[in-house]
Amino acid sequence: MEVSKGWIAGTARRTVLPIGLGGVVLEGALLALSFFMIAPFLWIVSTSLRLPQDSFSLPPAIFPTAWHIGNYAEVFAKVPFFDFIFNSLKICLIIVIGHVFISSMAAFAFSRIAFAGRNVLFLVFLSGLMIPGQVTIIPQFIMMSKLGLVDTHLALILPGLINPFGIFMIRQTMMTISYTYDEAAYMDGASRVWVFWKIILPMAFPAVVVTSVISFIAHWNDFFRPLIFLNSFEKMTLPIGMTALTGAFGTGNLSAILAGVTLSLVVPLLLYIFGQKYLLDGITAGGLKL
Amino acid sequence: MIAGHKMSNAIVGLLFLAPALLFFIWFIGEPVAAAIYLSFTKYNVITPAKWIGFDNIKHLFADGRLWLTYGNTFKYIAILTPMHAILGLLIALAVNRNIAKGWKYVYRTIFYFPVLATSAAVAVAWQFILNTDFGVLNYVLGKFGAGPIPWMQSPRWVYLAVAIYSFWKFIGNAFLYYMIGLQSIPEPLYDAAKIDGAGKIQIFFSVTLPMLSPTIFFVLVTTLIGATQIFDEPYLITAGGPGDASRSVNMYIYEVAFQHHEMGYASALSLSLFLIILCVTMFQFSISHKWVNYDRE
Repeated sequence: MEVSKGWIAGTARRTVLPIGLGGVVLEGALLALSFFMIAPFLWIVSTSLRLPQDSFSLPPAIFPTAWHIGNYAEVFAKVPFFDFIFNSLKICLIIVIGHVFISSMAAFAFSRIAFAGRNVLFLVFLSGLMIPGQVTIIPQFIMMSKLGLVDTHLALILPGLINPFGIFMIRQTMMTISYTYDEAAYMDGASRVWVFWKIILPMAFPAVVVTSVISFIAHWNDFFRPLIFLNSFEKMTLPIGMTALTGAFGTGNLSAILAGVTLSLVVPLLLYIFGQKYLLDGITAGGLKL
Repeated sequence: MIAGHKMSNAIVGLLFLAPALLFFIWFIGEPVAAAIYLSFTKYNVITPAKWIGFDNIKHLFADGRLWLTYGNTFKYIAILTPMHAILGLLIALAVNRNIAKGWKYVYRTIFYFPVLATSAAVAVAWQFILNTDFGVLNYVLGKFGAGPIPWMQSPRWVYLAVAIYSFWKFIGNAFLYYMIGLQSIPEPLYDAAKIDGAGKIQIFFSVTLPMLSPTIFFVLVTTLIGATQIFDEPYLITAGGPGDASRSVNMYIYEVAFQHHEMGYASALSLSLFLIILCVTMFQFSISHKWVNYDRE
């Protein structure tokens, strides 16, 4: 695939830029597809800067035709948009820290403490991966309403703290760490907690970060659970806050809605810039282990 | 094995496991048991659950809307699974040619970033892009002479609308898996094939494709499970419309549980979906040994 046949026989070779018709066609197709991927973002940002009365004017803009930043103020005036972002960040961070800690402890037990029934327990946890969220959400909702936790962030945080995928990821990495480290530490009279906290957890840190990034993305984008559990504006997360924003503006001011969409891209962008290395590592690890 | 500690392994092990175990029982184990129990009851959260035996299951088989939404869900599976598996592969193959590393990075960013973009937010934007009367997509198509397409008003076009959005939002996932799969194919395999005089097409079918089969399998399984549970895309873009034309099973379960508050019946529906996912996944795994090649270090 790496070389395309040239016009003249014999010119096919491994080059940085593909020469020949096949290469040009492929390159053209890739560029067209890239435009399709980027254009919605450009349109979102450009239109968010238009005057509200021009927001539906055609032709659509790829580059800004105006610099009306008032739409951004509108977003904050109409809905508690800052709260949406703050709530999303707060819930995601608490879930990520909590579940990674709980998963690491479980992974330590599953990888480095030998006791009867360990493998059976591990299989029980793994089977949890197969249960779709739709099955557990109904009993969870009933449970939360009985506990009076509907429309609180705890209703999202508490179930988020258990994630068999995290236990699996971290355990797989801990399995690769040599037992000589533990043995040397126990010789010196170290405790289990010390070995976990000072030796094994730091050595498994790449897996911890990868699990964190993957679960952050999943919870950041989660729409289904907040839709069920949250009702009041000021408690909403960003995904369902977006539907509240659309509702608040109707179809009247598209520019303001798209200003909200633009703002929603800030955190994912930062995540891509700072987390992409771990993300790729994680996907490699997850993909190859299957 | 490890010696020199005071407490027995079983106790220490369980202490380390205690938080995970507690939350597992609380939010996965107990709810699964409760869902099974609820599916034999009539329950609206306010009045106590009433045991009705197999009535929910009988009702399930006679529920026309359930069959309709299952049919729609199978349409999503039939469209989205091959779309992501095949187009993701083609894009990865095109990007994975010997182009400069910087370009690979650019393409990776372009195709992968939508996966991270807050899904509900970009779905809201796509609702406007796909609008029949003033949408950007119909405007652009109009420039090429294509008439305004009734994306949301036609029971057929609505699936293409969801497919276009799903491609834009999620193709980066399949693409990235394939890129990683392609890069892990050892170079000597290609060299050996070339020495044997294999042409490019031959190399693709005898080296690339077999070596990539575990990745293809992974993409197929994950997109299939995702399509079976599809909710966000139709909920946010088509609202299940026109009528019920694009309503998925998962949207129907949501409606029964959280709008009609028929928790018992909704639990029965959710378990039916679980059983179908289980069967399809097991089927995929059982036929996988016929075509997936795990013969690598």
